Amino acid sequence: MIRAGQGVQALRGRIARPGAGRRTEGPFGLARRSPVAAVGAGVIAIVVLLALAADLITPHGPVAQIASPLLRPGHGFIAGTDELGRDELSRLIFGARVSLYVGVLAVSIALAGGASTGIVAGFYGGSLDNALMRAMDILFSLPAIVLAIAITSILGPSLTNAMIAIGIVYAPTFARIARGPTLAVMNLAYIEAARAIGAPNWTIILRHVLPNVSAPLLVQTTVSLSTAILTEAALSFLGVGTQPPTASWGLMLNAARQYMLIDPWIAILPGVAIALTVLGFNLLGDGLRDLLDPRIPTM
Amino acid sequence: MRYLLRRLVWMAAALLGVSVLIFLLVRLLPGTIIDILAGTEGQLSREQRLQILHSFGLDRPLPVQYVLWAWNLLHGNLGWSFRTSQPVAPLLVSRLPVTVELAMLSAACVTLLGLPLGIVASVTRSVRLKGFVQVVGLLGLSIPNFWIALALIILASYAFRWGPALIYVPPWQDPWVNAQQMFLPVLSLALGLAAVVLRMTRSSMLEVLGQEYVKVARAKGLAGRTVLMRHALRNALIPIVTVLGLQTGFLLGGVVINEEIFGLPGLGWTLLNGVYQRDYPVVQGAVMLFAATFVMINLLVDLAYTYLDPRIRFQ
Repeated sequence: MIRAGQGVQALRGRIARPGAGRRTEGPFGLARRSPVAAVGAGVIAIVVLLALAADLITPHGPVAQIASPLLRPGHGFIAGTDELGRDELSRLIFGARVSLYVGVLAVSIALAGGASTGIVAGFYGGSLDNALMRAMDILFSLPAIVLAIAITSILGPSLTNAMIAIGIVYAPTFARIARGPTLAVMNLAYIEAARAIGAPNWTIILRHVLPNVSAPLLVQTTVSLSTAILTEAALSFLGVGTQPPTASWGLMLNAARQYMLIDPWIAILPGVAIALTVLGFNLLGDGLRDLLDPRIPTM
Repeated sequence: MRYLLRRLVWMAAALLGVSVLIFLLVRLLPGTIIDILAGTEGQLSREQRLQILHSFGLDRPLPVQYVLWAWNLLHGNLGWSFRTSQPVAPLLVSRLPVTVELAMLSAACVTLLGLPLGIVASVTRSVRLKGFVQVVGLLGLSIPNFWIALALIILASYAFRWGPALIYVPPWQDPWVNAQQMFLPVLSLALGLAAVVLRMTRSSMLEVLGQEYVKVARAKGLAGRTVLMRHALRNALIPIVTVLGLQTGFLLGGVVINEEIFGLPGLGWTLLNGVYQRDYPVVQGAVMLFAATFVMINLLVDLAYTYLDPRIRFQ
């Protein structure tokens, strides 16, 4: 704690220097300038590695019933077994795969759809801007979970549909975040200059607008990964997301509800996994925000 | 005043948009409503099918269907449940108090926990506390509230051998039993958000406490408490209210999940049951009601700005 606090304090002095956030350094540079981001990146790296190597490192498959149900941790199984006698540790590790898969693809959908909408709206302005952003506002007038539940209830509960629903739910955030800087850039002289030399619109968007939007988008992507993973867990927990027997942390918590008073471990461990992963993305997002946007004071 | 009118008009427009969205979403359903109604055992002839479609008005063009549906909606008619044939509107209205109670108690709890702790954390100005508060705030964002709920249930039953009554009792019947039932759901919802508010309050207060006018107030010899409450907190509240407003969606989502976990028959519980039973009129109605509530709360948050900071005048 002490170290993290001092590090952030030191960071304040550093980010005041112009261009401090633009330098590209190795991972150690990141660790020096933002310990918060580095810790987050470290946690994420571990989770990603576990998810990728799940087939190699897990002692049992995610759906293999190999022992008596509801064994406490220790009896030959590090994390015990679940209500169907499946190895809890293996399911936790394979669960990381589902969480990251859904999180990354859902955020990609939101980023691609939302950011392009926002940039196009800001770039062309006028009635197109109005129409696009009002459409986004409509999606904003529902709480994220409620909208996601509504969408999955129509599409049917499944991993893919949960992913699509989460992508739609978070797209408006990206649209708003991309539109602001686009509008600001549009008034600058170099856009006019690019126009004057006859650059086509898409060149201007890709080469002159996108670089200015990328920093806030990067921060938002990181933060959205955390909320997307949480939303997937919530949807699966409610039974409208990933379906059994797939090992998903939310689903594991759902199954645990019936047995948690017999064996609390099966309700505790998946929650710890979710919290750690989400915390990793939040730490990274926080650190990146400090580094990339010195105007916002550290909270 | 003109701002308020414009906002109200825009609110209505947004809700209209939501209603079109929901209407189209439900019409996107794989298979027709008839198949859902008839279930697996229903082998309908073509004539029977057309007849049922006609009796529901489903053989008309989509825009006509929408206008009829929206017209009924405006008159407080949300259709009839597929499962029980009861009208949906009175059902949802009867479920609303549970949701409102849960949401308001949670919001109050968030404020009562987060705000004072944040003020205390800002006054001490400790550097060590900074990292600690930052991590606590992020933990609040990272830990799923439904997991806190499960953990609290386990804790209550293992450590205290305690569990609230299972059948929901409204507060006007037995306030004590109701309070017991609300205790865990409210706590599990409020803990995470209170951590977020704590973090925001601390940073916002520190920023304000460094301002010149706070120094002037101190130099005038005002009591520390007066400076803190009247000069600092009032200005610090603006970003805090922003964060609270942003978390409203989070809170309402949490309410839906917690109603399901704790078996509280509110709007979220009704929505989820509608989803499980493929009772689409109920789903449509509940989603509309959530949208209306959400939009209204957002308006109230914006109005709170003008109260807190008279300089903000919306155009």
